[in-house]
Amino acid sequence: MLFGFPPEIYLMQIVFGLALGAIYVLLASGLSIIFGLLDVINFAHGTFYMLGAYAVYVAVSLTGNFWIGLVCAVLIVALFGALTEWTLLKRLYKEEPFYPLLLTFGMAVAIPDAMKFIFGLIGKVVEYPSGLVGAIMAGPILLPKYRLFIIVLTAFVMILLWLFLKKSDLGMIIRAATRDSLMVQVLGVNVSRIWTVGFSIGVGLAALGGAVAAPMVSAVPDMGVEMTVECFVVVVIGGLGSLGGAILGGLIIGQVVSFVSLFAGDYSNVAIFFAMAVILLIRPRGLFGEAGRL
Amino acid sequence: MVDFSVEKGQLKSIIGPNGAGKTTLFNLIAGVFIPSSGRIYFDNKDITSKKVHQISQLGITKTYQITHVFPRLTAFENIRISVQSRMSSFNFWRRVGTFSRINKKAEEILTLVTLADSHDRPASTLSHGERKYLEIGIALATEPKILLLDEPTAGMSPAETIEATKLIRSLTDQLELTVILVEHDMSVVMEISDEVMVLNEGSVLAQGTCEEISCNTIVQRVYLGERNE
Amino acid sequence: MGKNNSIKTVWIALLIFLFLPFILSAPLATEMLIYSLFALGFNILLGQTGVISFGHAAYFGLGAYFAGIALRYFGSSVWTSLLASIVVGGVAAVLIGALSIKKKGVYFAMISLAFAQMFYFLALSALKKWTGGEDGLKFIPILKLDFPFHVDLASPYPLYFFVYFIVALSIFAIWRILESPFGRLLQAIRENEERTEACGFDTTMAKFISLVFSGIFSGLAGGLLTVYLGYVPVTTLFWMTSGTVVMMTILGGMHSFIGPVVGASLFLLLQDEISYLTDRWEMYVGAMFMALVLLFPEGIVGTIKDKIETKRKRVQESQWVGDVS
Repeated sequence: MLFGFPPEIYLMQIVFGLALGAIYVLLASGLSIIFGLLDVINFAHGTFYMLGAYAVYVAVSLTGNFWIGLVCAVLIVALFGALTEWTLLKRLYKEEPFYPLLLTFGMAVAIPDAMKFIFGLIGKVVEYPSGLVGAIMAGPILLPKYRLFIIVLTAFVMILLWLFLKKSDLGMIIRAATRDSLMVQVLGVNVSRIWTVGFSIGVGLAALGGAVAAPMVSAVPDMGVEMTVECFVVVVIGGLGSLGGAILGGLIIGQVVSFVSLFAGDYSNVAIFFAMAVILLIRPRGLFGEAGRL
Repeated sequence: MVDFSVEKGQLKSIIGPNGAGKTTLFNLIAGVFIPSSGRIYFDNKDITSKKVHQISQLGITKTYQITHVFPRLTAFENIRISVQSRMSSFNFWRRVGTFSRINKKAEEILTLVTLADSHDRPASTLSHGERKYLEIGIALATEPKILLLDEPTAGMSPAETIEATKLIRSLTDQLELTVILVEHDMSVVMEISDEVMVLNEGSVLAQGTCEEISCNTIVQRVYLGERNE
Repeated sequence: MGKNNSIKTVWIALLIFLFLPFILSAPLATEMLIYSLFALGFNILLGQTGVISFGHAAYFGLGAYFAGIALRYFGSSVWTSLLASIVVGGVAAVLIGALSIKKKGVYFAMISLAFAQMFYFLALSALKKWTGGEDGLKFIPILKLDFPFHVDLASPYPLYFFVYFIVALSIFAIWRILESPFGRLLQAIRENEERTEACGFDTTMAKFISLVFSGIFSGLAGGLLTVYLGYVPVTTLFWMTSGTVVMMTILGGMHSFIGPVVGASLFLLLQDEISYLTDRWEMYVGAMFMALVLLFPEGIVGTIKDKIETKRKRVQESQWVGDVS
């Protein structure tokens, strides 16, 4: 026994932390991509997470199949993201970067309330897919199948993302087409489409996080705000603009939340802020942050 | 690797092809970048690791190649705030209009850079040439001992360039400044410099008077295609 | 921000506010004053210095809570409780600023939101014993003023004019700060921080002090809210409060002195009206805010000023044409 808990509990907490961290990784990498490409902090990032959860609820209700529902949910929300970027966000790029940020904030206020209007206040339950109910026994440890699934899925998606960005043509274009790059002047309208694609990928990741979290937490209109804040903490700790930072930051925060809720349940939702404060004190740039002006 | 010095009261020009490192040199002197090796001394003091605003307070001020002014503030305010930098700013209470010494000085400098007529116009509405003058004015307002001018005539018409060149020389003499000038326009350089330094790919190619440099064959070769007037 | 114009608008606004409780209701007018102060304090940082914070609920909420704590647990006078709210607003700004003011704007925006949420969660659960948790801090004794003369703060009109007095003094203080050399420095930072630094100013220190002033006045507004409500709702620390002050300020116009006052008042009026009709106030205000950012980013006062300016120029030009022909 260690601090009052048997060692199996610690291992299980690590797994819980990884599953939680995986969701943070999905969101934080999406946020990083959007910021890296568009110079915009998406204040509505958690909102798209929430939309992902609702989308999977609707899709599963309609199709009866979790997997189809999952894919549809991500695609629908990514499409919605593309639409908002194309019709609204794009108009503000010529202004100071502060204005697109405000627009996303407006979305973060309006959309959750609209969801309350459409779906009501009570959370919508999404059933676990039949193959992933229950847990595996690994020795004395109980490992919930669904959480293992989340970890594996996220790892898979991250590898796919990395390959896409580093190796594919479109990926390389995305990495180069930041808003102030020479490409903007040379390619003009075409780069505009790249931005839309990038934004869709970013919010698609958030939606995936929400869709995947839905069976565990249910789709609730206000689930987005807390996630946005937690996402921000992850990128502040990991450093914005770096995928590695998003991953490391997400995993760390996942473990922090997991273990604090074990030892000091009351403080579990403030622990990450203390962690952020500590990082700001000792390594202001974040773990992988860009050098230069902090 | 650059090793050079400037003497008080000199007007020294730095020339060199694009990418030679001229603006980088200015940024190093002004404290925007920290050198990876070597030291920078001003008035026998080591300023290598000082911050931008500290170096400015010590008396080194630079201008920007692409004008970097305060867009929504009036031309007058652009200069007035720069004058204010030489007094303690953490004064929260007295109204700004009551600081007559600062206002007077700002008016003088505004006139000196021929922008008195644009007193109340927002800086964003000024023409390119006027903005280049405002650049210089903002820098002068800080009462610099050393003024780093980064391509002050870039983008100016030939007539404007002649006027600006005359102004720079007369200001240098009048205010007893030490000036380091980065320029592409040879006519400007030859007209007003006491000394010229040629940079290429981050190193000093040659240093000397205008005649020495214009006769230097290596410099001529590097500048193949540049017109020497 | 022309100084002659802005002081005139302040006098006009204060004059209007003298009569407002009789035209609208005293409670609504009191809220307008309180949130006007909050927005003005917020705008020291945003409109004047160019730094956006999404966590100003921290200062407002902490000010409200500490005023409430002083009143309920320490039996202090109303003056002392307001002093507590000022101090805590300033201290919170010092602490948060020390950790974050050096960072780039986007980071600061995120960190400010994060710290405000931290305080919210602390008040909600971890420190429930002191703060009352979800229900807020209640059972504050009936409020009255004994010095310099007796004022019954439990009745709406005396309460209104007490708040009016404090807010008016604060508005003048903020005006003096913004018109001082320091205020001009903040403006320059907003316009071009890099250049301001190159002119020899310690811009980090200036932004830090701007944040502290902002925290002080936001905290005071929070304290006034406690005096007005008689209790402290936990929503004062909630992110939506931070968002509300951002929206109010942008609505009124962040680049004018009186803009935040106009924005806060109009926002509360709209909220009052629309809440009668629907529960989904946030959906409408969010949509309206998006439209604002897309179409009228300078807000009401800013757009009016621009129109006046364009008209003035056109009149000038037509005069010249007239002269020539």
